[in-house]
Amino acid sequence: MLNFIARRIASGALLLVVISFLTYLLLSVPHIDVGRQLLGESASQSAIDAKNASLGLDDPVLQQYGTWLSHAVRGDLGTSWFTSEDVGQAVGNRLPVTASLMLGVTAVTTVLAFLLGVWAGVRRGAADRFVQVLGVVGYALPGFLLTLVLVLVFAVRLRWFPAIGYTGFTDSPSGWLSTITLPVLSLSVASVAGVSQQVRGAVIDALRQDYVRTLRARGLPASRIVFKHVLRNASAPALSVLGMQFVGLLGGAVLVEQIFGLPGIGSMTVTYTTRGDIPVIMALVMLTVVGVVLINLLVDILIGWLNPKARVA
Amino acid sequence: MSRTARTATVAACVAASLALAGCAGDHGGTAGAGSSTLNIATMTLPQSLDPAVATGSALPYFQAVYDTLIKREPDGTFSPMLATEWTYNKEHTALALTLRKDVQFADGTAFDGAAVKANLERFQKGGGASAKWLNDLEAVDVTDATHVTLKLKQPNPAMEFYLSDAPGLMANPGQFAKGDSLKTTPDGTGPYRLDKTRTTVGTKWSYSRNADYWGKELPYKNINISFFDNETAITNGLKTGQINAALLQTSDQQIAIESDPKVKTEKQEFDFQGLLLFDRDGKITPALRDPRVRQALNYAVDRDTMLDRIRQNRGRTTSQVFGPETQAYDKKLDTYYAHDPAKAKSLLKQAGYGDGFTLKLPRITAIVNDALAASLQSDFKAIGVKLVWDTLDGASAVQKVFKDRQYSGMVMNMGQSTSDWAAADELVTPGAFNMFGTTDKVTRMLLPALKAGSEAEAKSAARELNQHLVEEAWFVPFYRMSYLHVSDGTVRIAPQSGMAVPSIYNYAPAK
Repeated sequence: MLNFIARRIASGALLLVVISFLTYLLLSVPHIDVGRQLLGESASQSAIDAKNASLGLDDPVLQQYGTWLSHAVRGDLGTSWFTSEDVGQAVGNRLPVTASLMLGVTAVTTVLAFLLGVWAGVRRGAADRFVQVLGVVGYALPGFLLTLVLVLVFAVRLRWFPAIGYTGFTDSPSGWLSTITLPVLSLSVASVAGVSQQVRGAVIDALRQDYVRTLRARGLPASRIVFKHVLRNASAPALSVLGMQFVGLLGGAVLVEQIFGLPGIGSMTVTYTTRGDIPVIMALVMLTVVGVVLINLLVDILIGWLNPKARVA
Repeated sequence: MSRTARTATVAACVAASLALAGCAGDHGGTAGAGSSTLNIATMTLPQSLDPAVATGSALPYFQAVYDTLIKREPDGTFSPMLATEWTYNKEHTALALTLRKDVQFADGTAFDGAAVKANLERFQKGGGASAKWLNDLEAVDVTDATHVTLKLKQPNPAMEFYLSDAPGLMANPGQFAKGDSLKTTPDGTGPYRLDKTRTTVGTKWSYSRNADYWGKELPYKNINISFFDNETAITNGLKTGQINAALLQTSDQQIAIESDPKVKTEKQEFDFQGLLLFDRDGKITPALRDPRVRQALNYAVDRDTMLDRIRQNRGRTTSQVFGPETQAYDKKLDTYYAHDPAKAKSLLKQAGYGDGFTLKLPRITAIVNDALAASLQSDFKAIGVKLVWDTLDGASAVQKVFKDRQYSGMVMNMGQSTSDWAAADELVTPGAFNMFGTTDKVTRMLLPALKAGSEAEAKSAARELNQHLVEEAWFVPFYRMSYLHVSDGTVRIAPQSGMAVPSIYNYAPAK
């Protein structure tokens, strides 16, 4: 297992370097005059040229990338061209917001999707139809619409939760919970819908297996068969989907962070990418790659832990 | 712990969290703490808090910590701030300032004439977006600690305006040598100090009252300025009182908030929207060389319908680029070009373009939405002009329009300066918005008078210039847009002349 993890981390590091290089090349295609973006339409050409030179944009792209990489490996991600923030600090400030959302959604999805999926798979009949309809509706609901409705009803009308903003967990745990509840709920609906269908299907498949019949014949209680044996075998496909949902959440987070005015990675990506702020975009891309590699690794480890047969594969 | 027990523990924790979330009705920690704190939301992001790169649109972030030499009152008049008196010489080539003597920067250093010189010279050379405003500044002569004279290369009547804006912000020169210190640690003489512990650069800046402030203290102990990249979040925040004051520009959000009985609103017309024609010499689109063609475009535009459909009638149609607060403004010119396609066609025919021509324009969807794009296209089509839109993102548009000069014009939203000279300098003198350097006998005659003439001469020149620009159809303005200053009901906001966002001094608790 350790060997497996080491190999995955090594390939992840290689991926990081390759993607960082490609990203830098793409960002450096000179379609954005950063100096002019920074100084505005009416700035003089000499001021714009001086600004570009001060940012090192006159250097060859490879040299620019080399400089960026040599600083990055030492932990220096540079300074935002547009807001003069230290990039590491800026991303660090926003990371807890998005991480809270993603972990919240994953927790809610894990609990609800497994409960619903097992219920539907075991009980079948009306329960199954109910969960399937719920799944289709949850998946089909436009995310922005659901988010807006949640804000209008629970924040603006009922005042149960704040409509905007984020409170850090360390500042106030209850404040943190109240600021992330609605965003997490709005992101969880599609996620629960998707994963619960996977769990349902896997549970139904597992229940048809011979070993389940054997266990039943030996007189084991139904709940024990389901939670100890069936779920264990059914969890692998569900975990894979959960992993993909987690990565896909970054996209959903953009919208939710904007509507809730949350200072997270999603809204940051939109704001800084449209401005062509290379140091910030590079940091965000790197963060995303690291996140995806780690999540996939974690899912593989979890699946292997739950189902020893998968380790062989 | 067995696996089942572990699962149960995790499930219990999640359930407890969910239950707690359901009960959490205390709104967390982001709500405003009563009237002692003012929470302002804005869609402007400052590059830093170093005044060398300050711009007018980001002024409130700076006003909290830095004073300007001259204060601009809400109605646009100038009043003393760090300078108590100022006088131009007769030729408008020198401006003498008398400075306050009881003012200190955050570290206790006294503010004096040398600080003014250091700040103005740094702003001029700092490479910021507004640095060009000090292009005419030749030297700053420091007579003594409380007297300085700004010597100008040529007459410039807009210096008071500039010194009440970004170039007038005064920082402690002691910090200039310390690299990037001022970017995140401002050192000014302003009414507030930046509270770095509560500030997250890029999302929220928190300021608390400066106990040593030389002037009259402002009504709020603390001010938070939060950056948002969309108006939906701002509108929701205003409805729940998490935001106390903000400016809403889109008519949809304005309508959405007005139905809330608690909010207080105040309208202001600041920006105009219109087609800025750059190619009046016909370098790209030869037809535009003929003023009759440009007039035809003006007659083709159905401004009333556009204002109604696109801005839900929030604003006022106009044919002039000068705003109502300038001397150049003439109410009659708002209706100079009525919607008259027949007249437009006849003008095109006279100019030899009876069969029309093709006009290619860049389109940034954030400015030119689908409705505006379609409306302009059909108005022009009705007179035989084929309008082709090149849809671009903001960054490439700036590159292609202003650097590569690929287009004959562009639909833009432009702020309307209260200073006649500042407005003329931006739109009429050769430069960014007159990129092909159009000039003619009349503008050559009027611009110097506007710049260096007596008050009466300048006023007369400004009015003549405005009339000339409208008659010669240098631009195709559509309307001035009505913006809405909204408070959650706890704040009284006074709109600021010459700025879309109010100055930091313009907020007070509602009575």
